[in-house]
Amino acid sequence: MKKKVIAVFLVLTVLLSMVAVAGCGSDSSSDGKTEIEIIQYKMEATDYFDALEEEFNATHDDIHLTIDSPNDASTIMRTRFIREDYPDIIGIGGDINYSYYVDAEILADLSDWDGMADIKQSYIDIAEGLETIPTDGTYIAPYMANAAGILYNKDMFEEHGWEIPTTWDELISLCEEIQSEGILPFYFGFRDTWTCLAPWNAIAVDLAPADICKQVNRGDATFTEAYREAAEKYIQLMDYGPDDPAAYGYNDACTAFANGEAAMYPIGSYAVPQIQSVNPDMNIDSFVMPANDDPDGNTLNSGIDLGFCVTAACENKEAAYEVLDFLYEDENIQAYIDDQNSISCKEGDYELASMLDGMTEYIESGNMTDYQDHYYPSEMAVDAILQTYVLNKDTDAFLKRFDTDWQRYNRDTIRTVQEYEEEHGSLEE
Amino acid sequence: MKSNKKRTYLLITIPILALFVCFNTIPLIRGIVYSFTNFKGFGTYDWVGFRNYMDLFTDSRIGGSYLFTFKLAIVATILTNVISLILALGLNSKIRAKSFFRAAYFLPNVLGALVVGYIFQYLFTYILPALGEMVGSPTLSQSLLSNENLAWFAIVIVCCWQNIAMNTIIYISGLQTVPEDVYEAGDLDGATGWKRFRHLTFPLIIPFFTINMVLCVKNFLMVFDQIMAMTQGGPAQSTESISFLIYNNGMKGGAFGYQSANAVIFFIVIVAISAAQMSISSRKEEQL
Amino acid sequence: MKARIGQKTNWPVVILLILGLSTIIFPLYMAIVIAFKQPSEMTNSISGILSLPSSWSLSNFAEAMEVTDFWHSLGNSIMITVVTVVLSILIHSLMGYAIGRNRAHSKFYKFVYLFIVSGMFVPFAILMMPLAKQTAELGLANWAGVIILYVVFYMPMNVLLYSGYLVNIPIALEEAAEVDGATTWGTYWKIIFPIMKPMHATVAIITALAVWNDVMTPLIIMAGTGQNTLPLAQLNFQTQFGTNYNLAFASYLLALIPILIFYVICQKQILNGVVNGAVK
Repeated sequence: MKKKVIAVFLVLTVLLSMVAVAGCGSDSSSDGKTEIEIIQYKMEATDYFDALEEEFNATHDDIHLTIDSPNDASTIMRTRFIREDYPDIIGIGGDINYSYYVDAEILADLSDWDGMADIKQSYIDIAEGLETIPTDGTYIAPYMANAAGILYNKDMFEEHGWEIPTTWDELISLCEEIQSEGILPFYFGFRDTWTCLAPWNAIAVDLAPADICKQVNRGDATFTEAYREAAEKYIQLMDYGPDDPAAYGYNDACTAFANGEAAMYPIGSYAVPQIQSVNPDMNIDSFVMPANDDPDGNTLNSGIDLGFCVTAACENKEAAYEVLDFLYEDENIQAYIDDQNSISCKEGDYELASMLDGMTEYIESGNMTDYQDHYYPSEMAVDAILQTYVLNKDTDAFLKRFDTDWQRYNRDTIRTVQEYEEEHGSLEE
Repeated sequence: MKSNKKRTYLLITIPILALFVCFNTIPLIRGIVYSFTNFKGFGTYDWVGFRNYMDLFTDSRIGGSYLFTFKLAIVATILTNVISLILALGLNSKIRAKSFFRAAYFLPNVLGALVVGYIFQYLFTYILPALGEMVGSPTLSQSLLSNENLAWFAIVIVCCWQNIAMNTIIYISGLQTVPEDVYEAGDLDGATGWKRFRHLTFPLIIPFFTINMVLCVKNFLMVFDQIMAMTQGGPAQSTESISFLIYNNGMKGGAFGYQSANAVIFFIVIVAISAAQMSISSRKEEQL
Repeated sequence: MKARIGQKTNWPVVILLILGLSTIIFPLYMAIVIAFKQPSEMTNSISGILSLPSSWSLSNFAEAMEVTDFWHSLGNSIMITVVTVVLSILIHSLMGYAIGRNRAHSKFYKFVYLFIVSGMFVPFAILMMPLAKQTAELGLANWAGVIILYVVFYMPMNVLLYSGYLVNIPIALEEAAEVDGATTWGTYWKIIFPIMKPMHATVAIITALAVWNDVMTPLIIMAGTGQNTLPLAQLNFQTQFGTNYNLAFASYLLALIPILIFYVICQKQILNGVVNGAVK
């Protein structure tokens, strides 16, 4: 009996002490300073943000800044939200999650932040466009953008004297030419389903209205009509890739492109570090996907790669703005660009990475359109729908499925939009 | 005496059960509550009644995921159990370098999903097709992972490869409970080989067979890591498992409420199957 | 199978085992070779992937250890694993015992058994959000919470294992002890607990392995505490748009060693099971 009491006691002690240890040891570093915590999702930029954090804390006496760049940040953010333990600032991409966060009213309006005036209007427009229904405020400060088009092997192009195409016909005849020389024009890594979206986005921005998803939500358009040309051209591109595109993964495709197994790779500039890890000396440049038959109809596929949002729960907005001011200092922006091959969302004369040379014209003129997939709900799995399409090549089935699935997965959004319309009249300004 | 015994059992059971209820049942009930909402995983939500449940029955993706998951679970359970039982008998017999073999056969279980995923992707994408071409078989010279009709079998192979180790351990520990004298008696009767296994060994390790069946069904019906590492549901959504959909669309995507409803239905289905399975095998245990 | 009684080595079985081993050696060989290579040595050809690295430098391992803050993460992983395993063996074996000895004749215990075992089939994804909230409310958003959750998560499987094992342990053993005046509790710790040693070892391996490789639980529970377990730290090798497989493989091989050693130790315990002697 004695032993029993002791054993039960022991187990209880262990469990209790665990709870006790858990209780203390939480944050207690506030020596009168305002704490500002940032969680940002670009793990590959960890070093950059660590350096910024250090510099900020060394130069500011009244604010203590913590920047966390965790693995799997989206899960961590959601976990923090459900615990109602909001960080002060979150760094996220401009995609449908941002729209959800705005809808969920967890973000604060940034219109009164002075720095907003320096941000390129095209990116503010992109951010506004992502909101399910128009709001009065601005909830994200676009920081960096990325661009997707076609990466090409510059040395190979120069060696063969190939020209950069500006229309769809030129692209197809270029592919024919490359193929006739026994070289594979494109590589695809469609086993990793998300890569199916890269060429799709680049083609769709040229051919479909930028706000097609919103038009469909309002009931003014169908994808079957708006996406038909894009879908046909997308599948046409498959003729110039490997025989079995769904057999290879993203990594296989990067390796193959790096080793000169293909002349072009339709993917975003974000793939360049992975490609260069295999072949550090490779000369990579890019051009805008010329899906339109008219060179002026083409537009650069570019979206907000990283933007900062202040949460509604942030207690000291002044301090948060001071941190934002620091992040947007020109030298910090240039450092980020050098580190990540990104495009700045802030106005200014920054030196861009060389693999963006072919896109400079579009970037400077502001001829940019957001990724279509930033409007797609991830649970609809458009990437998997595209992969299915690549495998069975049935355009009608693909388009039909796109429309029916869209209605299914966006039911609540569509309802919100249509309710808003009834109240406010047409959304079009 | 008797009541004292009963009290001890209760004193053991109640606190542990309370712990279990607190961290399993209560969160499950909270999850079930979400299945009646359009909760995205954060922010505000509305009650939608049984809409999520109705939708499940008209969603072809859900149907496809049930078909795939059960097909995989049945085939993988059979293969894993047969191979690991043979392996356990082999590892338990009089052999050289027993510890080495046992450690080596355990390795697949320890390798992380990233490593397993990479290696098997390589195997299916490059090595097997090359072998297929050598043999001259057109089906084999295509990657299994890009073949809508065969990709599920690639997942079966990886699942078996990883799970055999664990099942083997359980069979080995089961074989330890078989007393030597049973074999000695059997030898006198002239029972050898298959006969001895069928009539002497197997009946005695039936409880372990049950355990392995349950564990296999659990691991394979809830298959997730292997899918993420190998195909991410592709090609053409032919390998989307139920857990994959629940995680990917519910946790990562914005359909938390809907996928909670899916999880509830899935839970009910597995519990029903396991209950049936356990009552069948316990009846068998009694017979033997 | 005759070899068990005869003392001769069963060579056919050895040869079959060696053949079967190729299914393990080959992937392992690939893993080791990749762990030593540099990213620039990676190719998409079979000969390329199977070729030996250009140099057997340990730099990948050193860098992998640095990126994952190896010793620190290893310490966390070991601590969580060991505490979970010890608690699991103590708590789950007791539960398995109470259930195993009563479920045949008591409706209550039969219900408890099915209730707990059915917990095995609750998809983790449905529990994640509620648990993240609940652990935070209880002040358990840290390693202690992770351990408690593990004890609960693996309870169904381990109770199943223990209560199954008890079927093969004759009840006569306890009855004899009780005639001598021992309490049920005392009998359990003196007689039953030691007899279940092979099962303890099995449970230890299965639980340790599951805990060792788990990413999700620490990810959602320990988010923001600044503490990493090894699998969490290993996520550092995979960013959205690129994976350094060479470093990752080196790191996974390193993480494999402790658990393999643990397995070999436990394996001995399974073999030295005392049941054979006890039953006689």
